[in-house]
Amino acid sequence: MLAKLTRMEARLFLREPISLFFGLIFPALFLYGLANLFPGFMDPATELGGARFVDVYAPVAIAFGTAMLGLSALPPTMATYRQFGILRRLRTTPLHPARLLGAQMIVQGSVAVVSAAAVVIVAAVAFDVPFPQSPLWFLLSFLLTAVSMFATGLLIGSVARTTQAAISIGMAAFFPMLFFAGLWIPRAIMSDTLQTISDFTPLGAGTEAMSNAWFGTAPTAMQLAVLIVYSVVIGVITVRVFRWE
Amino acid sequence: MAVIEVEGLVKTYDDRNVVDGVSFEVEQGEIFGIVGPNGAGKTTIVESIEGLRDPDGGSIRVLGLQPITDRLELTQRVGAQLQESRLQDKVRVGEVLDTYSSFYRHPADWRALMERFGLEGRERARYGSLSGGQKQRLAAILALVGSPEVAILDELTTGLDPAARRSTWETIEAIQDSGVTVVLVTHFMDEAERLCDRIMVIVDGRAVTTGTPSELIGKAGFEHTLRFYPSEPVPDEFLTSLSDVTGIRRNGRQVSVSGTGDVVYSVILALAQRQIVAHDLQIEQASLEDAYLALTDGDVD
Repeated sequence: MLAKLTRMEARLFLREPISLFFGLIFPALFLYGLANLFPGFMDPATELGGARFVDVYAPVAIAFGTAMLGLSALPPTMATYRQFGILRRLRTTPLHPARLLGAQMIVQGSVAVVSAAAVVIVAAVAFDVPFPQSPLWFLLSFLLTAVSMFATGLLIGSVARTTQAAISIGMAAFFPMLFFAGLWIPRAIMSDTLQTISDFTPLGAGTEAMSNAWFGTAPTAMQLAVLIVYSVVIGVITVRVFRWE
Repeated sequence: MAVIEVEGLVKTYDDRNVVDGVSFEVEQGEIFGIVGPNGAGKTTIVESIEGLRDPDGGSIRVLGLQPITDRLELTQRVGAQLQESRLQDKVRVGEVLDTYSSFYRHPADWRALMERFGLEGRERARYGSLSGGQKQRLAAILALVGSPEVAILDELTTGLDPAARRSTWETIEAIQDSGVTVVLVTHFMDEAERLCDRIMVIVDGRAVTTGTPSELIGKAGFEHTLRFYPSEPVPDEFLTSLSDVTGIRRNGRQVSVSGTGDVVYSVILALAQRQIVAHDLQIEQASLEDAYLALTDGDVD
């Protein structure tokens, strides 16, 4: 029954052109666009310590994808399910409504994986960015980053009373998170203060962890700890405040 | 045999007893109506039966199960249609039914249910494209998709046009005919009168009265009148000796018998036993709506 539920949720996701575009295709398109539009994106830059902008932005694009799904797609979906009474409806069936959230995680998680793979492939094929040099560390960093964003999205979806509120709160988290991930200015160019703050945000730590693993160094214990502690804390709060209706 | 037993149910919100000591039993195979003004606590009662609300007092047994602790077993055997619940606009009717039926041990044939509820050929229709009546019928199908023994329908016909309401009534009768016990929350008295075997009237969280539609009309003090031309002379004493008869008038050969409760039934039965035919029989009855208004205004002793 979880399989059928997940299939139904997957079909519903595929019927939403906006989340489909932004969640699945946009991160790779974003990297491709930046690299083609900005002069010097492909050249080693002294301000990045000799790295190319495209190398720095590839993990940012992946972080962007996870935030798009977790903070922009997930909260309104959950709020809608509560507002429509779908969760309440499910509580009158033998299926526990937590399974619906599980199905959502499977669907959105799969989309995040495909979207990240698309970034890795575009970066490799179009811009000679090597495949992640420490694949297992990279995978772990990516998963922890995705989990931290999904946990945040679940929390927002739990406290938002309406779909509109869920969208607004999601956006309020989305932009600062992406700022600290280095979407507008690469982390290497940030001031020390901003960098320190960034180190303690999930998307900042996650991007750095993926970046390290991509170019062959293990993520630092600090980066992994930030991601894990953040997700656990958010998860515990979510369980406390969650309402089915 | 009672399939639902509710004893002294209390549910409190913000120090106010929304449901205040309600007791009733629902018998196997009947359509049991719960009526009352908006905010009287009807939905809270059925949601307590469904296990959606944890009561603050009293006990509930549904098919011998305790709704909160035996939730999993209960949901297998009790189907619910909720007030103000909807589905995702982009989901297809067939997908929802296929998915929801997979939750149950003994799923019903959802295609047959679609046909019975007049939704045949709409499997690929998106929920958002259905009319209000079709959405309500889909909600009813979802309540029945697990082949439940009890179906709880909360304002199923609210928002339907008259034709859709009529066809929904026929479907509810068909549900009963298939052996399912039905609990029906409604604020339409014509609906309750037509469908329900017994009705409980709820006002301010309390059960004001429970009974068959004609008992409620009787309790409200409304009389029924039968007018007929008997095929043979009938003595007054014979009629006044019948239960529920309160008065007799004669107008030439025409006899008018007034009474409360089951007067219509007892007069017709008595005449039939004497093999007297009641020609040109006319029956004037107060409607349940009259009785309901009297009962909920507190005009009753």
